[in-house]
Amino acid sequence: MKIKSILMPLLLACVVPLSSQETGGGFSKGPPLAWNFPGQSPRSLAMELAAGNVGEGYQVHDGFWSCTLSKSVPVLVEVFLFAGNDYRFSVASLEPFSQLSLSIFDATGCPVGMEYSGDSFCSTAGLSVIKTGRYFVRLVMTGSDTADTCMVYCYK
Amino acid sequence: MPARILQIAGWLLITVPWVGQCSSEYLTPDQMSEASFLETVSIPTPGEFFLALDKQCQPNWSKLVRSSVSASPSDREHLALQLGILWTDGFMGIEAQDGQGVKNTARDILLLAKKLNVGQHILARSQSISDFADAGDWRRLREELNAMHNDIRLSLLEQKDSQLVVVALAGSWVRQMEIGSRLLSSGENPGATALLSQAELSSRILSSLENFPENSKRKAIIRQLMECLRTSTSLMSASPFFFSPSVLREMADCTAALTSAPDATDPKK
Repeated sequence: MKIKSILMPLLLACVVPLSSQETGGGFSKGPPLAWNFPGQSPRSLAMELAAGNVGEGYQVHDGFWSCTLSKSVPVLVEVFLFAGNDYRFSVASLEPFSQLSLSIFDATGCPVGMEYSGDSFCSTAGLSVIKTGRYFVRLVMTGSDTADTCMVYCYK
Repeated sequence: MPARILQIAGWLLITVPWVGQCSSEYLTPDQMSEASFLETVSIPTPGEFFLALDKQCQPNWSKLVRSSVSASPSDREHLALQLGILWTDGFMGIEAQDGQGVKNTARDILLLAKKLNVGQHILARSQSISDFADAGDWRRLREELNAMHNDIRLSLLEQKDSQLVVVALAGSWVRQMEIGSRLLSSGENPGATALLSQAELSSRILSSLENFPENSKRKAIIRQLMECLRTSTSLMSASPFFFSPSVLREMADCTAALTSAPDATDPKK
């Protein structure tokens, strides 16, 4: 019993992930992209990604956010979410190896939710909201110098 | 004793990385203040708000549906405000499963859109809405109503009417607050009133309007809209978590003054 009480914390310490993500310096706002770009665009890719959630009962929010991301310069977008709803955020770019990642933070700046999937050019994160209020979605791209990127979200 | 030290060391090994990770992952107030606020993403749609309301208090939506507003405002800001209000009404019609009501709302939206020179972009949507309403396909109807609003918004942006997009979104938000306040003013579901705790959002929309050029801000409807947002922000800030029935009634009255008779205060009329 005594040995167990000593070993358990040590064992847990080995299992707990130590990774942490650098937030970098300031946040870039970047210029908005043309929304009506013909053909395949970051927006059409992000919409395709979001449409994948429709089968699970999600509705796609009709607005979108777009920007040219610079390597390792995070961008924060403010959103307002309601308690009781589930949300999924999808981000995509046309750069095949852009390595996008999404994180969600609450109004106090604390990380919430989880990243469901990340591909070389797209990523999805989501959360079930407990408290109505402001949230922040952080986008980071680490794979190329710049990447035209678009983010949409859906809810249920 | 050594066992106790080992145990403490073990717990420290667990907790220190967690604390370290959490602090490095936290956003600072400065970072949060620099976040992008984009009206089209940062302001929730009526669908999101009504979904949350529905989960928390299962309201009788059909009691709230009103007949279409026949006022035909003269200036473009006023038309945009009406568009936003009607968009929210359309969603409420869907919640009430009132197909005819949604069709009437979509018809009114089309009329207003035509006056803003963006009607041609939503003609097909209008027909789809009618078809889905007849079929009682509420999910597709919700999508189509969203898409219609998106088409109007993008067309307005294309013709450099970004201010009208902000006014329409503000109108939609004010109407949502009116409906929410009325629904919850009975005081039967105090927990659900937290959904109306949107002081930051109200303040953000107000800031967007304050950035309008002076000649736009002088218009009666914009002044009235800004006054409504100021009152809403103040009421919401005073009760950050739950709202008393009297505050809810005050908020419903303040918002209804803007949404029910939007032409009444226009000095041109």
